[in-house]
Amino acid sequence: MTLGPKSGAGAGPLSYLDEASLPLPFCPGCGHAKVTHAIDGALQILGRPKERVVVVTDIGCVGLTDRHFDTNAFHGLHGRSITYASGIKLADPDLTVLVVMGDGGAGIGGAHLLAAARRNIGICVVVANNFNYGMTGGQHSCTTPFGGVTATCHLGNLEAPLDLMGTLRPSKPGFLARTSVFADDVPALIARGLATQGFSLVDIWDLCVAYYAGQNTLTRNTIGDLMAELEMPAGVHFEGTRPEFARAWRDLYHPVETVDDEGMCLPPPDVGLAPVAQSALAARTGILIAGAAGQKIRSLATILGAGAIMSGLHATQKDDYPITVLTGHSAAEVLISPEPIVYTGIEVPDVVLILSEEGRTRVARKLAKLPPESRVYVEASLGPVETPARVIPLDLKGAAKEVHRLAVGAVGVGAILAAEGIYALEAFEAAARSLQKQKVADTNIAGLRAGAALAG
Amino acid sequence: MIEFLEGNDAVVRGALDAGCRFFAGYPITPATSILTGMMRAMPEVGGVAVQCEDEIASIGMCIGAAMTGQKALTATSGPGMSLYSENIGLAIMGETPLVIVNVQRQGPATGSATKGADGDILFMRWGTSGGLPLIVLSPESVAECYTLTREAFDLAERFRVPVILASQKEVGLTRERVDLDEARDAYPPPRPRDVAPADRPYVPHAFDQPDDVAPLSPIGGPHLVRYTTSMHDERAWLTGDPAVIARMMEHLRRKIDDHADEIARFDFDPDEGAETLVVSYGVSARSAREAVARVRAAGGRVSLLVLKTLFPVPEAAIRAALIGIERVVVPEMNLGQYAREVQLLADGREVRSVTRMDTELVSPDDVIREGGLL
Ligand SMILES: Cc1ncc(C[n+]2csc(CCOP(=O)(O)OP(=O)(O)O)c2C)c(N)n1
Ligand code: SF4
Ligand SMILES: [Mg+2]
Repeated sequence: MTLGPKSGAGAGPLSYLDEASLPLPFCPGCGHAKVTHAIDGALQILGRPKERVVVVTDIGCVGLTDRHFDTNAFHGLHGRSITYASGIKLADPDLTVLVVMGDGGAGIGGAHLLAAARRNIGICVVVANNFNYGMTGGQHSCTTPFGGVTATCHLGNLEAPLDLMGTLRPSKPGFLARTSVFADDVPALIARGLATQGFSLVDIWDLCVAYYAGQNTLTRNTIGDLMAELEMPAGVHFEGTRPEFARAWRDLYHPVETVDDEGMCLPPPDVGLAPVAQSALAARTGILIAGAAGQKIRSLATILGAGAIMSGLHATQKDDYPITVLTGHSAAEVLISPEPIVYTGIEVPDVVLILSEEGRTRVARKLAKLPPESRVYVEASLGPVETPARVIPLDLKGAAKEVHRLAVGAVGVGAILAAEGIYALEAFEAAARSLQKQKVADTNIAGLRAGAALAG
Repeated sequence: MIEFLEGNDAVVRGALDAGCRFFAGYPITPATSILTGMMRAMPEVGGVAVQCEDEIASIGMCIGAAMTGQKALTATSGPGMSLYSENIGLAIMGETPLVIVNVQRQGPATGSATKGADGDILFMRWGTSGGLPLIVLSPESVAECYTLTREAFDLAERFRVPVILASQKEVGLTRERVDLDEARDAYPPPRPRDVAPADRPYVPHAFDQPDDVAPLSPIGGPHLVRYTTSMHDERAWLTGDPAVIARMMEHLRRKIDDHADEIARFDFDPDEGAETLVVSYGVSARSAREAVARVRAAGGRVSLLVLKTLFPVPEAAIRAALIGIERVVVPEMNLGQYAREVQLLADGREVRSVTRMDTELVSPDDVIREGGLL
């Protein structure tokens, strides 16, 4: 398709500017006026209905442009225009979404620029790049050339300028081009960006006549020299064909996974935890399970609590594990009660299950403070436990060996349920069957039975 | 159907049932399971969920999506709330309906990532520039994570304002027995968005009375929609006219503050002849309930007010509960934040703060002992 100013005009509105709002507010000679008219030209080439076009602007002098467009207009925070545009595009992928930002916005919002290009989200970003912050009085920006003089580097800029093309090209987005406000191809390049399925960016070198241009003798005639000097030439720098994110996301994300890494079904199955047995538990019972990472403590605690619920009881569960989930302790508190649970803390644990050294260390402080009537079930190989409570050493690992290495927790829980009579083993089994995939449930149930035999 | 769920799971269900179809977030303990839950849930209902490059992008995408007509949700914890700050102001300025879940963790900065607190209570109300109001709700249980998420979406639509759900680790990551179907059946259908009529000109921030809330027209719909972060008039045109600005400020304030009673959600459990009132919220309210039950069982008299709406402060409910009261006890998991709000209404009565910010729950015993309840 050949594109040039006005070449496609006729299909859509004659102008996308709000004529009543003119003239534009910029300083006489400011390049932002040319950028604004070039965007209008590009929209004319595209010819989409105004209602389907959104102009999203950043803060800065260039952010004044949206007010003059007779389209949808969204004027957002400094550097964040790409985020609003992305949300709009994701919600309504058929919209034509144009972002207009300055070099200042590109700098402070650099993370969004990189992310949008990597995602290849279908928004077209126009950077009106005038090498400084015009609106705040001419301070240096991420594109100020090395040695350039601004209000905040009056002896010369010591930072290297950001090359937007070079920075974004490795992400292989839809379309990348650089030009200047003095070139004839600006509307055509923006139109190509807008017509691109994926992410596009047009870096338009621009003059801030109030600040940067005057202090650095940058003019219509020298802007090309600057491109040569910085080795940042004009032209199309990349055209890609990766799928556009908003549509690709919809295409991909319909299949839903059903099992997580602990073997728990996701999303929860439609079978609820309706009671399969009735427990005669008389009082609130706080159980503390202390083990090590990898012992599947969290899912075990969930089945223990769910079993209580399937026995007509109430339950709460809280987990305690380090951020580095594959190492160190893994502990859980399960509170089981015949009454609805108001306060979810366990002031004094009634039962403690210790499955590993890491677990014992984690709860050592609590063990020391237990009353004599509390019970501590401990894997026998861990040796003596320092606590005033009654200690019940059991060969949990030995019993688990017959079943599965990962069943040691279930063995412990089986021993506790059998010895303490909190609720019937059948309820735990029913909970495992309704919440876990079959193989995991089978292991837990076999462990539970081995533990019950151990205690009995 | 009876289930064994975490508060964060219930937030996801509440959002789904409220008609939320857009989620953008960034992983952070203890809020991550809302992000992963929404990633799983949204495709099933034709919605969109994305992990963003940071929290600024998360809330920014939500604001953009909300203005196209989607009900949008984002979720984070303290560090992310700090990054939301500027955009919360934008949502207030642009009158954007939006729900934010803050699953609080203990501490300033990174704090204790896996431990709970209610240390952001005042930050949620005052954490953006300008000081204009928004709505903050606080769930005390898994079931309330569901119902208050539903409420949050309805209130966000009703008032075109960000609503923050002040959850925390002790609620969001605690599993409880719940029946969310029952909760859903008991809850009215989601409030539809008030949409501006297509055949009439659209004025994005129109109001006759200062507390009026204008219907929205979606970006991409029948009208050309304007939206701006800068000071604007009813049509969203920039303005520098002090009279217009004063009117807009009054509008943004009074659309919330004049409706504090409508927004107030609370449980009042008075005790005949009680001279002590316990005021609490969030997970600490459960300790307060337990403490009050123990005091009453021991023959003591004490009244209890549990607040679910924290901001706008339910002043009428607090004042009514204070009648006949000599002393107020406010347990909370911070260094005494909401106690100040109560103090402002207490007309010189003694207000005793029972605080804990060591990652442990305020226990019923703490409430009784430090509150001097027995
Ligand atoms: C978070 C934030 N920091 C600072 C500012 C102040 N500010 C307004 S415009 C601007 C720079 C704009 O520069 P640029 O994007 O290049 O636009 P120009 O004015 O040059 O067109 C700054 C820093 C702001 N609005 N927001
Ligand atoms: S200050 Fe610079 S960027 Fe701003 S309008 Fe004037 S010339 Fe343009
Ligand atoms: Mg600039």
